[in-house]
Amino acid sequence: MATCAQCRSFFLIPEDADDFEQGKGDCVRQEQDEKGKYWLSKPIMSHTLTDTCPHYKGKN
Amino acid sequence: MATRHESIQYKGKVIEFPYDNQAEELIPDEELHEHLAKPTTDRTKRLKDRCRWKHATAGEFVEESVRAGIERMRLLTEGHKNSEGKPEVLRRAMILANILNKGTVVLQEDEIIVGYHAESPNWVPLYPELSYMAVQDYIQSRYAPQPVEEAKEINEYWKKHSLQAKCETYFEPIDLLRMYQVSTMEAPPFATGYNSMIPPYETVLEDGLLKRIELAEQHIKKAKEELSAPYWNAPERLDLVPKIDNWNAMIIADKAVIAWARRHARLCKIVAENFETDPKRKEELLMLSDICQRVPAEPAVGLRDAMQSKWFTYLICHAIDRYASGYAHKADKLLWPYYQTSIIEKSFQPMTHEDAVELFECERLKISEHGAGKSRGYREIFPGSNDLFIFTLGGINRDGSDGCNDCTDAILEAARNIRTTEPSIVFRWNPKGRLKTKRLVFECIRDGLGYPSIKHDTLNTAQMLYYSQFSKNNNGATIEEARDWANVLCMSPGLVGRRKSQKTRNEGGGAIFPAKILEITLNNGFDWSYSDMQLGLETGDPRKFKTFEDLWEAFRKQYQYCMSLSIRAKDIARYWEIRTLQMPFTSSIDDGCMELGMDCMELSEQPNGWQNPITSVVAANSLVAIKKLIYDEKKYTMEQLVEALHANWEGFEQMHQDFKDAPKWGNDDEYADPIIKRFYEDILSGEMVKITNYSGGPVMPVGQAVGLYMEIGSRTGPTPDGRFGGEAADDGGISPYMGTDKKGPTAVLRSVSKVDSGTQKANLLNQRLSVPIMRSVHGFKIWLAYMNTWCDLNIDHVQFNVVSTEEMKAAQREPEKHQDLIVRVSGFSARFVDISTFGQNCIIARNEQDFGPADLEYLGVEF
Repeated sequence: MATCAQCRSFFLIPEDADDFEQGKGDCVRQEQDEKGKYWLSKPIMSHTLTDTCPHYKGKN
Repeated sequence: MATRHESIQYKGKVIEFPYDNQAEELIPDEELHEHLAKPTTDRTKRLKDRCRWKHATAGEFVEESVRAGIERMRLLTEGHKNSEGKPEVLRRAMILANILNKGTVVLQEDEIIVGYHAESPNWVPLYPELSYMAVQDYIQSRYAPQPVEEAKEINEYWKKHSLQAKCETYFEPIDLLRMYQVSTMEAPPFATGYNSMIPPYETVLEDGLLKRIELAEQHIKKAKEELSAPYWNAPERLDLVPKIDNWNAMIIADKAVIAWARRHARLCKIVAENFETDPKRKEELLMLSDICQRVPAEPAVGLRDAMQSKWFTYLICHAIDRYASGYAHKADKLLWPYYQTSIIEKSFQPMTHEDAVELFECERLKISEHGAGKSRGYREIFPGSNDLFIFTLGGINRDGSDGCNDCTDAILEAARNIRTTEPSIVFRWNPKGRLKTKRLVFECIRDGLGYPSIKHDTLNTAQMLYYSQFSKNNNGATIEEARDWANVLCMSPGLVGRRKSQKTRNEGGGAIFPAKILEITLNNGFDWSYSDMQLGLETGDPRKFKTFEDLWEAFRKQYQYCMSLSIRAKDIARYWEIRTLQMPFTSSIDDGCMELGMDCMELSEQPNGWQNPITSVVAANSLVAIKKLIYDEKKYTMEQLVEALHANWEGFEQMHQDFKDAPKWGNDDEYADPIIKRFYEDILSGEMVKITNYSGGPVMPVGQAVGLYMEIGSRTGPTPDGRFGGEAADDGGISPYMGTDKKGPTAVLRSVSKVDSGTQKANLLNQRLSVPIMRSVHGFKIWLAYMNTWCDLNIDHVQFNVVSTEEMKAAQREPEKHQDLIVRVSGFSARFVDISTFGQNCIIARNEQDFGPADLEYLGVEF
């Protein structure tokens, strides 16, 4: 089963960040609608299973 | 072709009125506004074209994509449950941290000010801790947060924890029912969740949050040393315990805000490095990343820092920690040091004046797409707009020097160029104000924006000093602080600066409706036309009143009942805000709260109590008609009047005409004006100031209207001024009733000036001026003379509509062609095509004031 760590949207939070936790990352997704592009970022743990995530895209 | 104003014979000369901009003479009247928007850069043009407006009309959002988000209410509830057992103020800090740490952060293309307060830029957050009724309203609408079952469960949880549940127990059911009718008085804030405040932005920009954390840590260290010193003394030291909690809560909140801002920094960097292909935008995103990493943690250095730090502070105080309407701050004073650094000295974030104008246009567009999760009722009262967003410019500085500067001008240029309904602007008019800036104020008004609205600077500074004498801790405004004020919302001033600003609407705000109060006074307190219940006190059968004074005193009792009940409701809400709705972030950025270890809901150093009488002129004109026709001339009896009103004047046509023809406010009338002056001073203010609110000061009237003049008009039966039941009331404070000010603009000024401004906290004056005069070569000269006369007459406020009837009617016919047509409703501006036809017609019906020779002479205009 794939985890968030394997997803293209997953960016590990650097160790010097205020909200650093081991394995914690930002899930950053690009969205687009008729008004234009925008990006959303939510914190997520790297080991989270992606089976119910509709946005999962494996890293190349 | 544009309509040119006819020539005027004046002092032996023929005065012609060619357009100031000759090219405009070729533009048809109904197309004028299409030629006025001139976004400064391609970026602001693009941002305006794609703006995610959150305007509402008739209570519905205009844009299809608007929805309520669930994220804030979910994280709020999780934070509340997880912090059970902790001191309440710490819980509030932990809840805020939970929302900021786990919530979505948003970045949009082209932006140079970043940050939003919901999980999608199209959505609005909800606040079940403030009003479960407002959330219920969303749940049953097409904007319902998803999954809706979860939203219902969350809302159910908050019913028992809500402010409303805590406050209602102190009122009799009949009093609650009367307040919830929203026809003699606005429903209490503990039920509506509606709020307003002034964040002390100055400390964030000048100190940075890391400094505020350090201050709180020092206070805790000192307090703990004091606690552990020998010879324990409980009366002297036990108060340190809650102070330590407050300082700790401030630290938690500030750290969370810094981390949240830096999440934006990270997002900008990730997008620059992984998504963006345009090298220029990449560079811009990296610059934004650097800014968000530094502010609000550190002091702002350049103008870009200041704008971003202000925006983050605004989002937390007004939208994430708690909802509050407004955008109160003195923008030019706040930003001037950073303007100087970046534009004049170019020592940090160097840029041109035009770059600054672009930045201010971007700020206007951020506000335009800022969504407020207000209830449907509160969306209805701001038709054609989003929410009340109002900031202040001009006036004088703390040292008494002119407060206008190049930053003021850049902000006004941005407003004129980009043409958005929000944010509205208040300009503090002071004789010291420089002409160059006043010319820009004129240009915004002339272009039909409806703002800046103008406030009398010295009158309002004096008012801040007046309130300071009631300070509970003898630390009210000094003269320097009194000069540093901005409007809290549409009309009422409040201090800005590092401490003493207003933090809750329970201090000032909320409405009372004199026209409806008069209606029920004429029915012994019973409301026959709307709620069909005993809505007020039993003050006697008016048919048995022997004199006009009997009616006057009956009205006084009804008014006092509503006022005391309204203020009691706000103060009981304040009592519970202090205990359950603390705002540790806002407290951390207030110097008073920091020094004293108090939460900002509790600390009140500067009283600022007020309530808004709305529909006063309908009541006042009605009293004039009753006195004249029933008690003085005895042409009709009270019995006949009551019968005619119950028939909505049907079958009483001649009587209706006589009451309609009775003298009206705004015509410098020697019969009407003394009665109306007495009404404002003896009752509206005289009764209000007898009340003392939480802060220890008097409550004063702030006459205004917002969209409530239409809303309450629809709930008010026929009135003795000749108005039919359900028709709109007067459009603001001390403004003449629409279409009844027939003796020119200077007659209006003379009438209004008869009411002693010192007895009122504020009073809104709406005027509609002739487009061909304002756009002519003489427009500025005439307007400036009008403004100087207005100032000399000590009138508190004035705002203008400069839009032709032709253009408004053209917009009614073809709304799609007139998206940029803006009108002043009352206290706020709105996109004309987003207002209901009823509301549009009310604006068209306002009398368009022209300037005749007698007016020009009175104003001392020389050609």
